[in-house]
Parts: sequence; C-alpha cells; structure tokens
Amino acid sequence: MTREIITDVLLALAVLTVAAAALGVAVMPDAAARLHYVTPAAVVAPVLVLLAVFVTEGLDENTGEILLAVLIMIATAPFLSHATIRAIRASDTARGRNTVRDKERP
Amino acid sequence: MSSFVIAAIAMLVALVPAGVVIVRGTLADAVVGFEFLTSVAVLVFALLAEGFKRPSLFEFPVLLAVLLLGSGLVFVRALEGWL
Repeated sequence: MTREIITDVLLALAVLTVAAAALGVAVMPDAAARLHYVTPAAVVAPVLVLLAVFVTEGLDENTGEILLAVLIMIATAPFLSHATIRAIRASDTARGRNTVRDKERP
Repeated sequence: MSSFVIAAIAMLVALVPAGVVIVRGTLADAVVGFEFLTSVAVLVFALLAEGFKRPSLFEFPVLLAVLLLGSGLVFVRALEGWL
C-alpha cells in the first residue's frame, strides 16, 4: 500500500513536470527560450519515472534498462541542447536577427 | 488500468502543446518541439512497458534514448542553414 502511494506520487510529479515543461515550450516567445523547457522533461521527469519503477519492481532487469535509458538521456541532453542553441544563435547572427533577450538588453 | 498507464496517457496529452509548436512555429521552434517530443516519448514507452508488464518492451526507451541524441544532432546540423 505504501509502495503504491509513493509510486503514484512520483508519477504525478513526473506528469506535472512534463506538463509544466510543455506549457513552457508552448508559451515562450522564441526557440532559444523554449529550449530551456526541454531540460526538465529530459532530465527531471525520467529520474522520477525511474524511481517510480524502482519502488514498484525493486532492482531487476527492467529497472536496469530504464536506468540505462535515463543515464543516456541525462548524459546526452546537454550536448543536444548546446548544439541546438549554437545552431539557432549562429543562424540568428548570420541573418542579423536578435533573440528576445538581446532586444531587452539596453 | 494501472497508474503507469494513466501517467503515460497524461504525458501524451501534454505533448499536444509541443505538437502545436511544431506545426505552427518557425523551423527553429519545430526543432525544439521535436526534441521535447522525443524526450517525452522515451518516458511514455517506459511507462507503457511497466504498465502492461511487458519486459521485452523495456528495450524501446533505451533505443529511443540513444536515437534521441543522434536524430537531434542530425536535424540540427542538417537544418542549421535554414533555422
């Protein structure tokens, strides 16, 4: 019973994290700002899901596979974000466009 | 229906805003939306595998997590000139 409650709480937190990140991706004004909201879905929510599976199943091969997937995501998400923002920034600079933050700068 | 399946459905619903960004936003917005969508897809696969108690399906999230980096980098590099 306690395990089920803990699992449900962890899953609810994971869903809330993804929902909040989705809202951020939807409402932010440009791609550079939207990119910030990919990180919670790629790093925080997977850890919560991993913990929920671990609480339910214990340490077994299924948990190990999810652990592997989460480790890959956590290790690769920063590289992907960096490559994306670099490409957006390079493109903006080449075309003389400014991001929203640049426009706000005095 | 287990809480894992419910969580997977909720996450799929949360993908709708990202889908709207992909369809209606600029190309750069669409790339970011794609990265968000694939990140959540890894979670959905893991949740469904656990929810339906199918151990063989736990390999999908691992594969997709690897492909997430590869496909994302390919997209970013290929579309760099058009972003």
